[in-house]
Amino acid sequence: MIEVLVVAVFVAAYVLIATERIHRVAAALSGAAAMVLLGVVDARVAFFSEKTGVDWNVIFLLLGMMVIVSVLKQTGVFEYVAIWAAKRTRGRPFATMVMFVVITAVASALLDNVTTVLLIAPVTLLVCDRLSLPPVPFLIAEALASNIGGTATLIGDPPNIIIASRAGLTFNDFAANLAPIVIVLIVVFIGLCRVLFRSAFTYDPERVAALMALDEREVIKDRPLLLRSAIVLVAVMIGFVAHSALHIEPSMVALLGAGALVALSRLDPPEFLEEVEWPTLVFFMGLFIMVGALVEVGVIGRLGGLLTAAVGDRYLLASSVLLGGSALLSGIVDNIPYVATMTPLVQTMVDAGHATALWWALALGADLGGNATAVGASANVVVIGIAARAGHPITFWQFTKYGSVVAAVTIAVRRLYLFLRYYAFG
Amino acid sequence: MTARNLAQPFPVVTPDTDAMDAAQAMAGRHWPGLIVCNDDGRPYTILPGSEVLRFLIPTYVQDDPVLARALGEEASDELCRKLVHRTVRDLLAKPQDLDDLPVVDADATSLEVAAVMAHMHSPLVAVVDEHDGNRVIGAITVNRLLDHLLPPHPAQA
Repeated sequence: MIEVLVVAVFVAAYVLIATERIHRVAAALSGAAAMVLLGVVDARVAFFSEKTGVDWNVIFLLLGMMVIVSVLKQTGVFEYVAIWAAKRTRGRPFATMVMFVVITAVASALLDNVTTVLLIAPVTLLVCDRLSLPPVPFLIAEALASNIGGTATLIGDPPNIIIASRAGLTFNDFAANLAPIVIVLIVVFIGLCRVLFRSAFTYDPERVAALMALDEREVIKDRPLLLRSAIVLVAVMIGFVAHSALHIEPSMVALLGAGALVALSRLDPPEFLEEVEWPTLVFFMGLFIMVGALVEVGVIGRLGGLLTAAVGDRYLLASSVLLGGSALLSGIVDNIPYVATMTPLVQTMVDAGHATALWWALALGADLGGNATAVGASANVVVIGIAARAGHPITFWQFTKYGSVVAAVTIAVRRLYLFLRYYAFG
Repeated sequence: MTARNLAQPFPVVTPDTDAMDAAQAMAGRHWPGLIVCNDDGRPYTILPGSEVLRFLIPTYVQDDPVLARALGEEASDELCRKLVHRTVRDLLAKPQDLDDLPVVDADATSLEVAAVMAHMHSPLVAVVDEHDGNRVIGAITVNRLLDHLLPPHPAQA
């Protein structure tokens, strides 16, 4: 009976999150509170259980990276790089788009996607304004590129952080398994941009002077802070790469980096906490408690057993279904609760002998599925909001028209990658 | 002192007034804003100087003010040209109800005027005569109000 009640609470909260009838934080916390009232979760389970409680590694890794981003944002380095890159193209539209796509993808691999598009979008509008180019294709391309780029690393997208923590995968595991396919996907995506946005690439030589007049050096507000931030960021990246050898969790690396930046920058708390999304962190906590309750009552274990039995030794089929299903669902609902729910299920299958390729199928599907629709990923929603405020509205279907093509092509490439790397030659 | 006593004659514009003329009048005479009236002389809204700037400055620069440094001073001419062939109506955020406007009746006390100004974050309050169909009889600027409320500076006393 208790299992039925737990599942009912979970489904109800999930529906509320997906439909956004109430704020997702309120939905997740209400669901978590219901699990406590049902007697499934207590303080020990919620706060101290590694398997069924709040995953503090995820929470503090996100918090640390948000603080790092807050400090980096103060330096003006993102604006500098974007303007510098646009000027290198001498105003050629397609080359400019390629530059912005690459910058967005690389930045998204190191920072969270929403922050990346929030930083790149204003510069994009500025450059398009200078060149009299329509900004909408550029903004859509950047949202899609951020979702692709964020897939490359452990820290690039919250679902990856959840998967890494729950599966015990390292930063290097992600870099070795996902970064290569992400590089391929970016190349494919640039080719798609050439075709999809071809009408936007009208070159006006007379407008180039307006672009070249921009002075990127002026946007660096605090050079000493930039230097100190760069040193700490490099140290943090080295820490991520070496975290398994150093026996230190990625969350500790991020927190140490954040602490160092706070100490060195001497910024005030409102400044170094500016990018910390407290609602997102609380949402994660509520989510972990809800999913933990499913594990506690044995629902996840039984479901995992059924799935394992159904799939048998058809590992390729399992990966393909997980990839396609994750991509489809992530295009419709938030990929964070989806991945939080799926990780214990996939763990059951991996424990039963399935290849770790399932983790990569889950990450690739969930991270990139968000490209399919305008509401599939937070970066998409943010870009649409920025475009609307700038007087360049992007409709749901306008975004989805491009996003669905990109999602479909990239799913095909991912499917091929999984087959070749883990089954044909694995 | 009532708003009637504090009010000074203040020029009004209509939503169809040329935007450049309105902005230049505001700048040239150091007015913090303009009263925008309907054709019947009743207040339509207040156009503060900040609203003109909001129209001139692209949203991407408002979102990321550091980009203004990359544009440089020479871009200001280009930005100001956005006012050409525009009307005051284009500068206004949205039509407002009379209750939402920084407007006071002629009988309002100086503290009532201060409260409206503070609540609406407006540097300018229009004064209307309720007994004359809410027609504008003048305006009170924040400078005028503070001058009345504050004790005289020791150097001036």
